[in-house]
Amino acid sequence: MIEWLEDLPLYWAKIIGTLFFLLVIVWAFTRPKEYIFRGAPDGKAWRDLRIWAVVILIIQVFLYIGF
Amino acid sequence: MIGGIDLFIVVFFIVGVFVVGVYFKKFIHTSEDFFLAGRRLGWWVIGMSIIGTNIGSYDYVGGAGAAYDVGIAQANYEWIGAIPAMVISALLFVPYYWRAGAYTVPEYLGKRYSQPVRVIEALLWGTFLICCLAIFFWASGLMINTYIGWPIWLGILLTAVIVGIYTVTGGLTAVAMTDVIQLAIMLVGGFAVAIIGFHEVGGWSGLVERITVEHPDHFRLFLPLSHETYPWLGMIFGLGLVLSPAWWCCHQAIIQRTLGARSEWDAKAGMLSAAFLKTLVPLLYVLPGLFVLALATEPLADKDQALPWAIKNLLPAGLAGLVFAAFLAAIFSSVDSTLNSAVTIWTRDIYQNFIVRKASDRHYLNFGRGLTLIFVVVGALLAEPLTTSFSGIYLAMQTLLTIFQGPTLATVLLGIMWARATRWGGLFGLVGGVACSTILHMTDMNFLYVAWWSFVAAMIINALVSLLTKPEPTEKLRGLVYGLVMKDEHIQNSLSSRVEGGE
Repeated sequence: MIEWLEDLPLYWAKIIGTLFFLLVIVWAFTRPKEYIFRGAPDGKAWRDLRIWAVVILIIQVFLYIGF
Repeated sequence: MIGGIDLFIVVFFIVGVFVVGVYFKKFIHTSEDFFLAGRRLGWWVIGMSIIGTNIGSYDYVGGAGAAYDVGIAQANYEWIGAIPAMVISALLFVPYYWRAGAYTVPEYLGKRYSQPVRVIEALLWGTFLICCLAIFFWASGLMINTYIGWPIWLGILLTAVIVGIYTVTGGLTAVAMTDVIQLAIMLVGGFAVAIIGFHEVGGWSGLVERITVEHPDHFRLFLPLSHETYPWLGMIFGLGLVLSPAWWCCHQAIIQRTLGARSEWDAKAGMLSAAFLKTLVPLLYVLPGLFVLALATEPLADKDQALPWAIKNLLPAGLAGLVFAAFLAAIFSSVDSTLNSAVTIWTRDIYQNFIVRKASDRHYLNFGRGLTLIFVVVGALLAEPLTTSFSGIYLAMQTLLTIFQGPTLATVLLGIMWARATRWGGLFGLVGGVACSTILHMTDMNFLYVAWWSFVAAMIINALVSLLTKPEPTEKLRGLVYGLVMKDEHIQNSLSSRVEGGE
């Protein structure tokens, strides 16, 4: 099933893994603002959960690029 | 074995957790208080409680052993195998569970699809959680036996009494608040080990130099496809795309904290804060495994001895007690959460749904407390027979989990994302996916690939059967499906009346 993949250099794992993270970053960042803030007591910038998600995922991108 | 100041720290921790847990009894007046902490939990409590629940003693012992054996690839279970799924869970799944006003994931599936889907999911998860409880009790007894020297049965009894009492009296509130303390202790212990370990090996560069000479792959997150247990493709597709989302989006013990949130925003933020904390988890056990590999003069006969070796040879008096308290914290937080979640599922999805449908709220509160006591006794009694009668009990549990996690994820995902998914699609997709993974398990396929293909099978079956059957009425789907969201007020009123009606 995956024999043809075994010839791929290991850096392809990094590329696919990083693309996976980037895909989730784009998805998270494009959530509507109203949806993200629903239920929040105020609209302060630090409550923007899109920023939380992007920061958490960018840390992962750096880790996977570094290792 | 620990003694002196270390023993004092451990006893102080146990008494402290017990007192804090029992304190929260005064907040429990209704079944909602007991099962969902009265929907009062703030985001940071939810985040810490989720991670406290997620880290078990096996993560410490087995994880450190695996890191000793394969290196930082073990961290995949905490990073690519958790964090993307947690973000998706926070921003996609959690809001729909929360809006549905559900107590359990099966309850959501019952509203979205049908009662049979709810019951199948409830029985699968309910049984799995009871087995987990027995295993956690055994792990606790074994650990107390190893480090303090007490008989295993005494360690199980101690855990059962302490965790049982505060879970019976304080419900999810006590569980979540003690989780916060327990995670704090785990992190302090983890940082202490990291600081001492780095000092011993000469910092990060010293650690890398000592290890890479003989183990060049130990600092690679992705390992070749030919690797027996950590092939990179399985890590990304099996773990990252199926097992991990199934765990973080559908596991009752994880999701239940977000259902107890005081607002939808707190529910989402709680899961995201857990994702941030998850980034730090490899500090707790991957680093110690690597320190042992760098410092031990002789290879360990058993890789699972890596962490005990680190405690014995690295840590000064006082810190060993702190790290042992962190072990206990990991076990206690897993036991209390599993216990509370198992009771919630059996009470809400089975007892309240089939056996006694229209009793008073006080009746369900008392039943939940009684069932908690019964599960404590059952878990403690099953601990030894369940663990010693089967070879490789952890493998058996992992296999069981793999069998239904992929199909569960497919069922929940299509339920939330696709309004056209019908009750029959959900039922056939779930049953067909479980059948597919059971058959694949009989081959020699890696469990990561089994998870992937059973997920794909459940998606396809659900979609095909749904297209061949009558669509669900729009009124039924309001607030439960992406794209059919009305204003919150309407959704909540509509769903509240449904909850009251016991549907």
